[in-house]
This record gives sequence, C-alpha cells and structure tokens, in this order.
Amino acid sequence: MYFLYFDPGLGAMIIQTIIAAVAGVVLFSKNLMHKIKVFLGIAKPIQDDVFDDIEIKDSDIENNNSSER
Amino acid sequence: MNAKNAHSSSFRDPSGYVFVDNGDIKRVIYPVYFKQYKALNDSDFFKTLFENELLIPHKELTNTDKEVVIKAEKISFVTYPYEWSFNMYKEAALLTLKLQKYSLEQGFSLKDASAFNITFHNGKAIFIDTLSFDFYIENTPWRAYKQFITHFFGPLLLAHYHGAQQLKLMSNFIDGIPVKMISSMLPFKTRLSPILYSNIHLLAKLENKHNEDYKGETKVASLSKKGQLNIIKSLYDYIKNLELKEHSEWGNYYDKINYTDDAFMQKSEIINTWVNTIKPECLIDVGGNDGTFVRKLNSSAKTSLVCDIDNNAVDFNHKIMKLNKEQFMLPFVLDVLNPSPSIGLNNKERDSFLNRIKELAPDVTLALAVIHHMSLSGNVPFSESAKFFSTFSKHLIIEFPKREDSWVQRLLNAKGDFKDHFDFYSLDNFISEYTNTFEIIEQKEIEDSKRVIFLLRKK
Repeated sequence: MYFLYFDPGLGAMIIQTIIAAVAGVVLFSKNLMHKIKVFLGIAKPIQDDVFDDIEIKDSDIENNNSSER
Repeated sequence: MNAKNAHSSSFRDPSGYVFVDNGDIKRVIYPVYFKQYKALNDSDFFKTLFENELLIPHKELTNTDKEVVIKAEKISFVTYPYEWSFNMYKEAALLTLKLQKYSLEQGFSLKDASAFNITFHNGKAIFIDTLSFDFYIENTPWRAYKQFITHFFGPLLLAHYHGAQQLKLMSNFIDGIPVKMISSMLPFKTRLSPILYSNIHLLAKLENKHNEDYKGETKVASLSKKGQLNIIKSLYDYIKNLELKEHSEWGNYYDKINYTDDAFMQKSEIINTWVNTIKPECLIDVGGNDGTFVRKLNSSAKTSLVCDIDNNAVDFNHKIMKLNKEQFMLPFVLDVLNPSPSIGLNNKERDSFLNRIKELAPDVTLALAVIHHMSLSGNVPFSESAKFFSTFSKHLIIEFPKREDSWVQRLLNAKGDFKDHFDFYSLDNFISEYTNTFEIIEQKEIEDSKRVIFLLRKK
C-alpha cells in the first residue's frame, strides 16, 4: 500500500515508460562501446576512489556475527 | 495523530513520527506501517543497510499492537542539502539511487526521495528516514521519481551548468526545484542529450500537460522492474560522472597565503598546544577551508566541523575525508555573514545554523584568518563578530592579522575612498571590543608574520 501524502506527479508516472526505454538504449550502447574499447585496448582504467559502485553487498561482507541487531 | 512532542520536521509521513526524548532520537511507528516494518526486519533488509552504513542504525525499544518505538543512533550535527558542496550532494544523490536499486531487488521501494532524508555522519552520507521503505508493487513506476529529479538531479545539473551556488536554491525550494524551472534554466544543448531530454525537458512538458487532469482520467502507465532499474542505473552513471566546471586548485591554497613555512608550523604548534589543554570532544573551524588545520591537530575530538564559504574548499575537504576514510570530519558550506535560516512550516521544519550549533555547543571554535574578511569585506564591527562567536562555544581561538598584513592591505586598498571608514581595524580596538565578551587566556605573536593569535574564554 502506498501513502499518497505527496503528489508524485501524474506526468512523472506516465513518462517513466519512455525514460526507461531511453535509459535502456543508452545503457546498452555505453556497455557495447565499453566492450569495444576494452577489446581494442583503449578503455580507460577506473580511477574513481571516492564514489563506489551502485551495488550493495549482502550480509556476507564480513562474518560479523557480533552485531546485536 | 496524537504525536507527543513530535519533532517539528516530522509531520508529513503518516507511518509514524520522530520525537526527541532526553536528547535521544526516537521514532514511533503506527500500525499502518507494521507490515512493512516486520517485512523489513524479517528479511534482514535493515541489517544489510546497517552493516553497509547506508541507513542510520536503530534499536527497537517497545513493540505493542498500538505502536512500535525505535531509537535511532544520534547524529551529532545535521547538515542540510543547501549546506553541502557539489560532491557531497552527489554522494547523497548516489546513495538514494543505490538504496532504491537495492530496495527493488528485495521487493521494496522508496516511497519518497527527499534530499532531507539524507545527512552526513561519520564521514559518509547516510539515509535517516527509516520509514521511507514500502512494498514494491509489480509493474508500477517509481512514485518518488519526480522528487528525485527535483531534489537531486535538477540541482546537480544546475550546479554543473551554472556553478555550485545553485545548490543554495534548495533553501528556498524546500520541496525541490520545480521541473519547469530546471528545464528553462538548462542550456539548449541539453536537449540533445537523450538522458537530459527525457528526464528533464520531456518531464517538464508532460507535467505541464497533465496537471490540468483533476478528474484523474489519464491512465497510469505500467513499468516493469527491469525498466525502472534501467532508469536508476542510467541516472547513477550520469550523476557519478557529473563534475563542476569551476574546479580550482584548492590543493595548493596554502602556497598562496602569507605564511612562510616556519610561521605556518609555529601557528599550528600554538593551536595544538591550546587545543590540547581544552581537550575538546567536538570543535568547529569557521572558515576552515579544506580542513588542513584541523587535520594537523593531534586532538582526540570525535567530531570536527569544518565550514567554509567556498564550495571548492569544502569539496576538497570532502574528497580528502573520503580518501582517508575519516569519521571525525564534517565539512559543510557556510557563509558566516548569512548562515542558513530556519525554514519550512512555522519556520521550524529545518532549523537554522545558529540553533543547531548552539545545541551542539562545540568545546572550541577556531577562527583562523577569518576576522579580517568579516570586518573588512563584510563591514562587521568587532562587537558584532564577538557576539556571533560567543553564542555557541566557550573557547575561541582566533587569529588577528594586523593592519600591516598584506592581505589586510589588499582588502583595505580595494575599499578605495571608503578606506578611512576602516580605521577601527587595529589590534587595540580588537582587544578592547572582544574583551567585553571574552577574557584573554593567552595571546601570541606569530614570528615572521603580521599576525597575532588569541585563546579566549567566554566571560
């Protein structure tokens, strides 16, 4: 159940289908370009230390059983 | 809602509310959110986010069928979006997307994406609105998507194209910058970018078209989970690569100022000795630049607030903090001549800088190479700056550049005909005005420079 305590914007709900399609194409072509660049050996090494990847690791990060929660 | 002393910022979400109890931050959860709360607990969702330090940890205190009460870990000082530097803002935006992606994978979804749901704690952006997670309903679009654009993506794009000052707009637009306004402010070439065209310009157009639909006749589109993940990933990639155009080299700032190496060392030794006699738990460096001085202290302060008016300096500080994984450092952007006001409903939803810092009451304030800027650029009389510094901490370490100092000379010369007005700027006047509010514990001249440094205590 969603609480409609703020207006999500009707246009914003409808448009997400279009944005998702655009995003899909962009992600696909970027991926492809990256693969081509890696294949040709001109891919830039990843050097961003400050911001990490979008993935969140599940509980297996450490065997941290001491956590009381 | 029978909220007893609910926090003044906690009235929007019907799932519960936050209240302060003897300095502890507690949260009441209403039955309407019980199902979600149980599912989040049972699936280790909360646990994973705690372990990854992405969500503020909490403990359950009581659990009845009327309400659940949890106690959240306390955050020493809450900073707001309009006090973040560009990269801090970026970190907060990326955290929101990261959480939404993880939520989707676990069958949940963020029901809102307000920038005020995030603050900085132990050197990292952290999500503080525990009740923002709801169940994901298959094939529904992300209802907080527009909020993400108006709270995060829009402000970041405006900052990218027009400078970091744009981030301050958030203090006027507490509910996000209107999409139409973002769209109108972006340069034409952004219409050629598929990501920007679809997420901003097209969104503005459609919002405009549909805000007349009062009867709700328009069919709400469906969107697959894969589709929604595509939006999130593409925004994540885009924001991660977004940079400021104005980046200057703050790294070598200290080469540009008036210190010989010896004087600089001497200054930091004096400050170190003084700070060690105070043994602060918490300190604030006003005009602290990129935090260089605070890092030179060998104090055991658990929290060091370092604020500066310059976004680039704060950004640089943020970068060092991230690379060194520092937990004590809390950088933020602040103009001492115009500190963040109280805003929102009843002017109480987001507290002013002064109220927050008074509550924190840092043990010592450092004001190094600030007074001449306040007095000469800001026309602030000594009595007024003394009043400002005396409101929040007991001790003040303040550096006074004398009239002969080259920086002071430069500021004075810039005044032209008005220069005579600043005849009051002298060491004697400084001492006589400041001793109305403070007592001098120690005073030292820094050799090889035209600067004097004081350790003061509030009377």
